[in-house]
Amino acid sequence: MGLLVWLESLPLSVWVHESPSVWAQPTVLTLHTMGMAVLVGASWMLDLRLLGISRGIPLSAFRWVFRAVAISLAVNLVTGVLLFMARATLWGTALPFLLKILLVVASAATLLPIRTYVLQSDPEQRDVSSRAKMLAMISIAAWAAAITAGRLLAYTVAG
Amino acid sequence: MPSITSFNLAHVHLLLNHVPTIGSVVALGLLIVAFIRRDEGLKLVGLEVVFAIALLTLPAYMTGVAAFQKLRGQPGVSDTAIRLHQDVALFGFTWMEFAGFIAWVALWNARRHGRAARGLVVTATVLLIVAFAVMARAANLGGDIRHPELGGATATIDSAEFLASKINDVMVNSPWAWPASETVHFLGLSLSFGVLLAINLRILGAMKRVAFADVHRLLPWGMLGFGLNLITGMLFFVGQPKQYIDSAPFYWKIVFLMIAGANFLYLTVFRKAWADTRGVWTATGADKMMAFVSMFAWLAALYCGRMLPFIGHSF
Repeated sequence: MGLLVWLESLPLSVWVHESPSVWAQPTVLTLHTMGMAVLVGASWMLDLRLLGISRGIPLSAFRWVFRAVAISLAVNLVTGVLLFMARATLWGTALPFLLKILLVVASAATLLPIRTYVLQSDPEQRDVSSRAKMLAMISIAAWAAAITAGRLLAYTVAG
Repeated sequence: MPSITSFNLAHVHLLLNHVPTIGSVVALGLLIVAFIRRDEGLKLVGLEVVFAIALLTLPAYMTGVAAFQKLRGQPGVSDTAIRLHQDVALFGFTWMEFAGFIAWVALWNARRHGRAARGLVVTATVLLIVAFAVMARAANLGGDIRHPELGGATATIDSAEFLASKINDVMVNSPWAWPASETVHFLGLSLSFGVLLAINLRILGAMKRVAFADVHRLLPWGMLGFGLNLITGMLFFVGQPKQYIDSAPFYWKIVFLMIAGANFLYLTVFRKAWADTRGVWTATGADKMMAFVSMFAWLAALYCGRMLPFIGHSF
């Protein structure tokens, strides 16, 4: 708790939380939402392809997804940490917040074996193993659960 | 920057409110002539017009709600007459969106198979006729608001009977309706965004070896996201119109949505890219500009939406 209080009292945290500037909380939150759209949107596109949508595209053509995911994950890590710091004592002690973080970590974790699978596929490979399909289904559901948990935080914890 | 809400939205409504009725007549004319002449190209034009009308019906409805707030309580203006007009317009809007959706499916399908499927064109036409009939009644009731001397009946209706009132009641009083709709709105935006990202990246040069037809296959998923967000977005707007009707970022959001919607239609019928089946098509500067406009419009719509509580005054 002492750590959380300290985090929240840092000048940066106070600025994000209390500044009336549009660049503080509003922009950080909006960037977090944009990052979410790219992160989840790009992951879902690859998941849909693995599940058989748009079979004509070879798996290797989806390498851009991992770059998009890396960039948006970085943006959301930075903005997420800022949002956490701004109200560290609130988020740091809320179980629903912990649940959201676990869901985000689980969703991102599904990308690792998917990434290995796609990067190791033949340049023209279009068939997908049943294991990769299973991973894609888990990934779709995990991201949906993470977004749901995140959105409901505004009503359960911060509401 | 002068605020967009300094426009007289009632005047904008008087301009846009002709689109659903007069536009439908034009689209119906095109579709009927296309059927008689068996002109496949003209059918596609008719369907594109239906899609465009469905898009513009959104601001037509929304500016109407804003006009209501301006007229409210003025002498000689009947609250019930406006509410009745508004409610019929909400039904008309719903039918129009169905017509626009089926028209889009027909266009997407036509791009893939070379010609529009008869069943889809007929369905879109029938839905358009229904939408036109309901919108014509809405227009008629709208005329009664300012011209009761023309003989419109001003019935007394319990305001709780209106669809808009019922939606308002659920959205405001149910503990889960608003949070659930917001969650769906976020899922929908991520889905749309992913699809647009994939297609625009193809245009901009990522996935170069992939035929445009293959990324075109993803468009219905974008439409699914767009549809979910249209439904949940309308639930927010009809549920709590006062949060939005004089909020500048909200109207900018609608402007960017119109651009994004037009771009969505463009990607659906994109002829030049479609002609390429081997993945050798390279976008020209104009195509790339279009991809940038697309991504910018979607990001800007998201920005305006997320900023509603901060630079607007919602919530």
